[in-house]
Amino acid sequence: MSEKPARPARAVKLNVLNEPKDSYTGGPSSLCPGCGHDQISNVIVTAAWENGIEPHRIAKMSGIGCSSKTPAYYLGQSHGFNTVHGRMPSVTTGAYAINKNLLYLGVSGDGDSASIGIGQLIHAIRRNMDMVYIVENNGVYGLTKGQYSATADVGSKKKKGPANETQPIDLCALAINLGCTFVARSFSGSKKQLTSLLKAAMSHKGFALIDVISPCVTFNNNDESMRSYGYVKENEVTLHMADYIPHFNPVEEIEVPEGHFRDITLHDGSTIRLETISSEHDPGDAMAALTALHEAENGKKHVTGLLYFDASKPSLAEDLGLVEEPLLDVPDEVLRPDKASLDALNAEFLS
Amino acid sequence: MDRIINDFTINIATANGTGSQSANLILLQSLFDMGVPVSGKNLFPSNISGLPTWYIVRLSDMGYQAPGDRTHIQVLVNPATWEDDIAALEPGSVVIWNSDTKKKTVEREDIISYPVPMSSLARKINPKIAKLVTNIIYVGVLAELLGIDQACLESAVAKQFKGKATAVELNITALGLGRDYCKEHLTKEDAYAVEARKVEKPQFFIEGNEAAALGAHYGGVQLLAWYPITPSSSMAEGIINYIPRLRTDDDGNATMAVIQAEDELAAAGMVLGAGWAGGRGMTATSGPGISLMQEFIGLAYFAEIPSVFWDVTRVGPSTGLPTRTQQSDIAMLYEGSHGDTQHIVLIPGTVEECFEYGWRAFDYSERFQTPIFGMSDLDLGMNRWACEGFTYPDQPMDRGKVVREQDVFEAFETFGRYLDVDGDGIPYRTLPGSGMDPILYRGTGHNPMGVYSEKPEDYYNLMQRLRMKIDNARDELPAPILREEEECEVGIVFLGSMENSIQEIDDILEATGIKVSQCRVRALPLHSEVEAFVRRHETVIVLEINRDGQLYGILRRELPNDLVTKVHSVAYSDGMPPRARIYAERILQTLEEVKQ
Repeated sequence: MSEKPARPARAVKLNVLNEPKDSYTGGPSSLCPGCGHDQISNVIVTAAWENGIEPHRIAKMSGIGCSSKTPAYYLGQSHGFNTVHGRMPSVTTGAYAINKNLLYLGVSGDGDSASIGIGQLIHAIRRNMDMVYIVENNGVYGLTKGQYSATADVGSKKKKGPANETQPIDLCALAINLGCTFVARSFSGSKKQLTSLLKAAMSHKGFALIDVISPCVTFNNNDESMRSYGYVKENEVTLHMADYIPHFNPVEEIEVPEGHFRDITLHDGSTIRLETISSEHDPGDAMAALTALHEAENGKKHVTGLLYFDASKPSLAEDLGLVEEPLLDVPDEVLRPDKASLDALNAEFLS
Repeated sequence: MDRIINDFTINIATANGTGSQSANLILLQSLFDMGVPVSGKNLFPSNISGLPTWYIVRLSDMGYQAPGDRTHIQVLVNPATWEDDIAALEPGSVVIWNSDTKKKTVEREDIISYPVPMSSLARKINPKIAKLVTNIIYVGVLAELLGIDQACLESAVAKQFKGKATAVELNITALGLGRDYCKEHLTKEDAYAVEARKVEKPQFFIEGNEAAALGAHYGGVQLLAWYPITPSSSMAEGIINYIPRLRTDDDGNATMAVIQAEDELAAAGMVLGAGWAGGRGMTATSGPGISLMQEFIGLAYFAEIPSVFWDVTRVGPSTGLPTRTQQSDIAMLYEGSHGDTQHIVLIPGTVEECFEYGWRAFDYSERFQTPIFGMSDLDLGMNRWACEGFTYPDQPMDRGKVVREQDVFEAFETFGRYLDVDGDGIPYRTLPGSGMDPILYRGTGHNPMGVYSEKPEDYYNLMQRLRMKIDNARDELPAPILREEEECEVGIVFLGSMENSIQEIDDILEATGIKVSQCRVRALPLHSEVEAFVRRHETVIVLEINRDGQLYGILRRELPNDLVTKVHSVAYSDGMPPRARIYAERILQTLEEVKQ
C-alpha cells in the first residue's frame, strides 16, 4: 500500500475529509512536456480533492492511447484499470454492476471514443451508466505519431501531409442526440471552467460526458489546426462560466459571479451555478444545445460549458433492480441458493 | 413377422416455425416417461419460419443416444423435402405422410406407406390453427401404430403446455383424432413397437444449457453479460429465468445483474470489469463470439482477472452452420488471444457435468485468477438428455487469494499484486474501493509490484510464472473418465458430447473383435492421467468432431516424444451429431493403416 504522505510541519490546506491535496496526486507524467492532458490530470486531482471524495472510493478507468495512460498520473490511492482500446465503457459497466458505490472516472481520447470505441461509448450513454467520461480530444493519434482521428475538423492540417477532408464527429452533439444526461465541453487550458464542470459531473448520477479540447503539442499544434492552443484560445465561445457548490461546506468560499446565474441541483444535493455569458442558454433544452453546437461549428469556433443536463432519467443502477448493498458485499451464503432450493428443483423435474 | 421393440429411429420432417417442436417434444417425453431409453435430436435451420426441420427420435434399449445410421420410420409433413426424404429411405422403411399435401404422394413399392389426411383432421378441430394441430395428429398416429401409452402421452402434453388448460385439451383431442384415424383406416404392416421399461432410478429430461444455467446460479454468479447467439442463448435465458426463484429477495431485488451487451466484445469487457471489481461475472456465447472476445481474453490472462466464458460451440469457420454441432473451438479456447497464452477449459459431456462446471468454473477462475472456459456444444446444450438430478456443491465457494481485511493485508511484509508469495504462481489481489495497495491494472508489461515495466527479466519471469500457474492447475481440474479393458490394445481419447455416441462406437468395434478402452477428457490443460492412459495402451485414437484433430494436436505437442508416435487422429465433422457407425468405420480404417 502506498503510504499516506507524512504531514509536513507547515500548515497545509485540507479538504472536508482533512486530506491534503497530495493524497490525490499520482506518479510523474511521461507525456510530452506541455501536453494538454497533463492539465486535465491536474484538474482531476483538484476536483476530487475539493469535492472531498475519499481517494480510494474512485475507480480510474481508461482505454488505450495518450489520454488513457494518464490514470497513472493522478489519484495514486485509487485502483485503476487501463483496459483495451475503446473498450473502457464495458469494463466500467461490469465493475459498476459489482460495486455501484465507487465513483467511476473514465478518461479516454478521441481515437478511443470516436473511432474504435464509439459503439461502447454510445451504449454506455444509452444505459445512462453512472460514470464521469472525460474525452481528452486533440483530433489526432498521438502514440502512433500523428494520424488524424475521427474528431479532426475538415481542413485541419498536421505537420506533414494533406489536410483532413473527412467530416468530424462531434461527440457532444452525438451525446445530446442519444439522450446523454450530462454533456459539457471545455478546454484543457480553461482550468476554472473545467474544474467546475468536472466537480459537477462527479456529483451527477448518470452518464456525464465532458469533451475537453486538449491540443496535442507534438502532432497537432500548428495554428491551422482547429485544435491547436492558438486556435482554441482565439475561437472559444464560452457558453457559461460555471461554478460548483458542494453539498458540504466548501474548502474555499465560492465567489458568486456577477450578472445572471442559474443554479442546477445535482443528485447529491450539491449545485452547479451557471453564469450565462453569451446567451440565455438553458441546459435543459436539447435543441438549444444542438443549435449552439451547430452555430459554433459554422463559425469555426468551439462552444464550451454545460451544454445539456437532465436529472430525470434513471441511471443503470435503477434499471438493474439489484439489492441495496453492492453485490460485492453480498455474502457467499446469500449468493449461492441453499440446498433446499436445489432439492425442490430436482423433485419438480422428476415429478 | 418378428416385432422390433425399442430399437429404431423415427425421422420427422416438418417446416420450421409450424409448431412441430412441441409435438416432437411430446412424443419424446411420452416415450421417456414409459421408461424407454430415447434421445431426440433437433436438426433445425438458421431461420424463424419456413425452412426444413428434421427431428430424429431414437429408441434404443441399449441406451444408444447418437442418431442412428438410418431412418426406420419417416414422418412426412414438409412438401419442400418430400422427394429427398423418400429417396433416402432404405427398403422396408415406414412412411407416415400427410395425404392432404398438394401434388405429393408416396409411390415407392418397397416401403410401407401410411397416408393420413393430417390437415383435414386438424381443420376439424380448429381451422384457424390447423397447421399447428397437424403436427400433433402424427404423434397420435405414431402412438397408435407403436403402442405408446395414453397416460404417458397425456402427462407429456400437460408438461409441454404447463398451466394452459385449453392448449392441453386441444392437443389431447388432436392426439385422439390421430389415434382414431389409425384404428379405423390403417392396417399395421410394420414390425416396430414400443414397450414400457422399468427404470431403476427415476430420471428427467433437461437441456445442457439449462443445466449449466442452474449451475451458474449455484456458483453464485453476480453478473451475466451476454449477446444473443445460437446455440448459447438458452443458457443466458436459463439464468435469467431462474433469477426470480433463486436470486431475488423478499423485496424483489436481485443478487445478480444481467446486462444484454451491444456485442460480444462488450460482454467480455463487462465480465472482466466484474472480475476486476471482485465479483463473479460470466458470459455465454458461441464460437463467433469467442472470436470477437479474443483481445479481452488475453487481457484477462495477462492481468490475471477472474472471468468465466461459456462457449456452446457450433459449426465454423465464420458463420458456418449456425444450427449444427461441432467441437472445433478447442484450440481457440485453449490458446485464445495473441501472444503466448494457455487457458483452462472445462468440457462437460453430460447434463450433470454442465451443472457441476456451471458452478465450479467460478471457483477455478477466482482460485487461479484467470479466464475459465466452459466448452459445451449445440448437441449437448440444446437437446434434451436424461438426468437423475443435480448434486449440490460439496464445498463452499472458493474466492481465491483475495485480501479484503485490513489486518490480513497488513500482515504481508511486502504486498505486490503480482508477487508470487506462495511459490504456486498465484499472487494475492486487493479490490477497487478497498484502499489496499491500489494498482493500475493494465494489459502492458508489469513487474511483480504491478508497475509498468519493459525490463527483460520482468517480462520473462512474468510469462514463466503464468505458465507455471496454469500448469499447476492440471491435476486440480476434473480428471478424465476412464473405462478400460484389460488388454489395453486400443485406447480412445475423446471429449464432450461424444460421450453420447462412444458406447455405440465401442460396441461396433467390439463386434469386429477389437476391444477398446475409453478416456473422456474433461478439462484442459490435460490431466496427468491422460498421459498415463496413453502410456498404458498400444495404440491410441483421438476421436473428435472436427476436421483438423484439434485435441490430437494438443496431445502431440504436450506428450513426451516416446508416446507421440502411438497417438492417431480420427477427426470427422459434417454438421450432424456424431453417428456412431461413421466414426467406428474411420477408427477401423485408421487402425488398419497403423498396422501396415
